[in-house]
This record gives sequence, structure tokens and C-alpha cells, in this order.
Amino acid sequence: MERLKANLLALFVAAHLLAITLQALPAPGGGMSRSTWKDPTVQAEFDAWRVRLNGWGWEGTTAELEERLWDFARDFMDRRDQVLTPFRPYYLHAGTTQAWRMFVAPHRFPARLELEVKEGDDWRLVYKERDAEATWRARWLDHDRVRSLIFRFSWRPYRKQYELFVRRLAKEAALDFPEATSFRARFYKYQTLTPEAARAGEAPSGRYVESITVSLRSTP
Amino acid sequence: MSAPGRWARWVSFVQEREPADTLALLRICLGLAVIGTISTVVAHDLVAFLWLDAANGGYRETVTPGFLYGLIGVTPTTVWGGVILGLVAGLFVTIGLGGRLPAFVALKAIQELTDLNGSAGGSYDALLTNALWLLVLSDATRTLSMDCYHRSGRFRDDTPVLAIPRRLFLFQLVLVYWSTGAQKVSNYWTPFGGFSALYYILQQPTWHRADMTWVAWIYPLTQVMTAAVWLFELGAPLLLLGLWARSWPEGRLAALSRRLPLRGMFALFGLGMHLGIEALMNVGPFSFISMSYYLALLQPEEARAAWARLTRGVSSRAPAG
Repeated sequence: MERLKANLLALFVAAHLLAITLQALPAPGGGMSRSTWKDPTVQAEFDAWRVRLNGWGWEGTTAELEERLWDFARDFMDRRDQVLTPFRPYYLHAGTTQAWRMFVAPHRFPARLELEVKEGDDWRLVYKERDAEATWRARWLDHDRVRSLIFRFSWRPYRKQYELFVRRLAKEAALDFPEATSFRARFYKYQTLTPEAARAGEAPSGRYVESITVSLRSTP
Repeated sequence: MSAPGRWARWVSFVQEREPADTLALLRICLGLAVIGTISTVVAHDLVAFLWLDAANGGYRETVTPGFLYGLIGVTPTTVWGGVILGLVAGLFVTIGLGGRLPAFVALKAIQELTDLNGSAGGSYDALLTNALWLLVLSDATRTLSMDCYHRSGRFRDDTPVLAIPRRLFLFQLVLVYWSTGAQKVSNYWTPFGGFSALYYILQQPTWHRADMTWVAWIYPLTQVMTAAVWLFELGAPLLLLGLWARSWPEGRLAALSRRLPLRGMFALFGLGMHLGIEALMNVGPFSFISMSYYLALLQPEEARAAWARLTRGVSSRAPAG
């Protein structure tokens, strides 16, 4: 009996190691989105690899490289799904999911959330990510879990969630700024400075994207 | 060696035993991590905002639940119930009361709560649930626990327990590093991108604690650190290879691995990296949970000495009388 128990335990440990290792193998995961691939940060990565591959003799364009990678990634994810299927109940019930895509690439075109209220004819900035003065609802918005949300909201696939998030915040703004008539959320998207540009004192330049305005006056 | 011979060795390896001091320290840290993970959401008044629907203070019209909440429903009562259960389970894990059950309850609480909003979290949630599962599999309340006190009238019990859970913690840590390193395929992590990844990551506003423009003046240092981090992560499996090689009877690799302070080198770089991340970035409980895993590097006698130093330090600081 003891011998059987020892063998079963050894089998279980081996299966556990196999399950977690298979799931930890590199995979694009949530990055499988065409709109995400069109982001300037991702496009710049494709272009950098295209230049390198061209140097190594591969003749192709950035668009062709992207197509090939998309096809490869889609096939890979399909096969990965098949391989992982028998282990799914284990991942689910034992909490042994493995997705270690941490800082896989710097986001060269980050987006900084800004929230404003309209008082009279003027917009007033009330929250800006990592700003020392515009700190409205920073207790919520600066928490690491909400930072994670805001990071995702600047990506296209999360547009619907972003809208709901803004509408919820607008309710808080209506309470906190009774004089305000509108609430606006938008991202300032810019390219991060090179070290040389930062040392030269340049400021990052960009543009506002994903702007959503919510009226704070109840509809008649 | 034949396949049956290899299997017999594997069975024997899995059956190896050691005192439970290291597992006890892991248990204490992970219990605190559970409490910290849930309590910051409560303290920031974010339970309803993140985990409930719009009708109950959240921002989403509907919440897509995980397995258990799919069965019992997502209401303020069930979500707050999960929060309280998670906090109590975290406390029980920390003090070592209730055997393996509190670790499983804490695992389920963290998993189910964070599944209510998969966008509002990070790898630290999975890092924590993986660790809690290993606690479920281990006899981590054998020593330095209330269970031990109830059982024996003492807080310490030297009865050996299976060593494999501690080794699985170590394997998990190495796997995390290797996996994340292997996925760092960005140009910026490589020599082709000038090893500039860390510099540019520190310029992203999402995670940093304060303006990081000043890093431009120490750019060469960030390049060195980028290369070092990338190589450390990709090379993490060498730790396991080195520790295994120590048991080889002869050979150059065996000799080298016996000579090098492998665990110390790994811990020095890895802990330094996490302390650096913690100092510069707000990544929630990630650093604390990651550093907790490093306890698995300690042999039980080393864990015992560390615990003795810690408790001596605390008691010597306590006011007399």
C-alpha cells in the first residue's frame, strides 16, 4: 500500500510539472488581436525585426512579416489549446494558471489618462496619471489593480469597458463637482523620449485619443 | 539507466523528507500576501467598483464570474463573503491553523475574486494561487504553527515532511523567470535594440511611482541591467541544473556547481531585482509574493536559523516587563 501511494504521488508530481511547464511555454495569449498589432509600438517591433531579417537574407516587407507571424501565432495557439485541454480542469480547480508575460516589451507609445470637468466654458483637469496635483479619486485610480485596467483601456479591444469605466466615474464627478456640466476622459498618447532627447530637456509630444465626454446634467 | 530504474529514482526523490521550517516560513509569508492582496482592495474602497456590476457600485453592466461565483451568483453578499472568507483564510494560513484547508480556501477566494474582473490584476494573482496550491499539497503547518501547538504543546516540531513541495516552489520560481525571459522577444531586450528595454519601461507612466526622466542620466546602467535581467531570466533553469549536478559523482560541471554558491548568487541578483522594481514601480503585491518564493532556496536548517535570528531580533526590541 505504501509503495502504491509513493508511486501515485510521484506520478502526480510529474503530471503537475508537465501541466505547469506546458502552460508556461511562450505564447501570445491576449495579444492575439489585429487591432492591438496595429498599435505603433507593435508595428515598430515588426519593423525592427523586418530590418534584421532583411539583413540576414530574408526578403520581405513588414506587412508580410506581420501576416506570416499572425498565421503562425494562430496555428500555434490552436495547437496549444488542443495540448492544454486535458489539463484545463487542473488549472481551473488548482489555480495553477501560468501566464508570465511580464514586461515583454516596453510600450514606446504609452497613453496617459486625463480626466476633466467642464465648469462654465472651461475644462478643468482633475486627474492625470502620475500627476502630483490632478489627483481626484486617486485613491481608486492609483491602485495597482486600477492601473492595470487603465493600461488596458488605451488598447482598442477594451474600448467598451473603457466607456463603462468613464460613465461610472462620471457619476462620481457629478457628486464631487456639482457645478460641472460635463465630464471628459481621454488619453494623451505620445512616444517616450530617447535618453538623448530626455537629457536635452525635450518634452514628449503626442496627441489626444479615445476621448469620451459625458454630460453631467440629467437629460430632460 | 533503464526506464524502471529512472522511475524508481524519481519515486525515491519525491519521497525524500526534511524538517518543515522552510515550508513554515513560506506559509507565513504567503498568508500575509493573501491578507495584503485582499485588504488593499478593501482599504481603497474598490471592492464594489472592481468586482460588482453597475447596479451595485461597479462600472460594468454585467460581471462574468468564474467557476464558484457562476454557481452562487455575484451579489454584494457573496462578493463581500468572499472577501471576508479570504481575509480569515489568509490569517489562518499565516498562523498555521486548520491544516491545509485555509490555504485552499484562500486560493479559491483569490482566484474567484480576481476572476470577477480579469482586467484588473496581473501575474501576481497567478503567482499567489500557484503558491497556495503548493501549500495545499504540503504539510506546511507541521511546525511554527497553531496546529503544532495544539498537537504538541510546542510551536516547533522537527518531524520531517516531504521535501518535494519546497522543491516545487523552487521549480515554479525558475519556470516563471524562464517563461517571462523567453517571451521577451522585443527588439529592446536584445543587443539589436541596444538593451534599452528597462530604460523605456521605466518611462511608461502606468506602473512607475514618480517621474523617471532622471533615468536618462544613468542610461548605460539601465543597459547593463537590461542585459543582466534578460540573461538571469533565461538562464534561471541553470540553478536547477547546478543544484542537480551537485549530486553527480564526478565531472567538471559537478565540481563547478559544488564550488559556486549557486543559491546565494541567484538570491542576490533576484532579490536585488525585485527590491529595485519595488522601489521604482507600483506593481502591487508582485514583489512581496515573488520574494516569498525565494524562501524555498533555504535548507530547513537555514530557515530555522533565519527564524531564530528574526524572533531574537523582535524579542530584544520588545520593551522589558
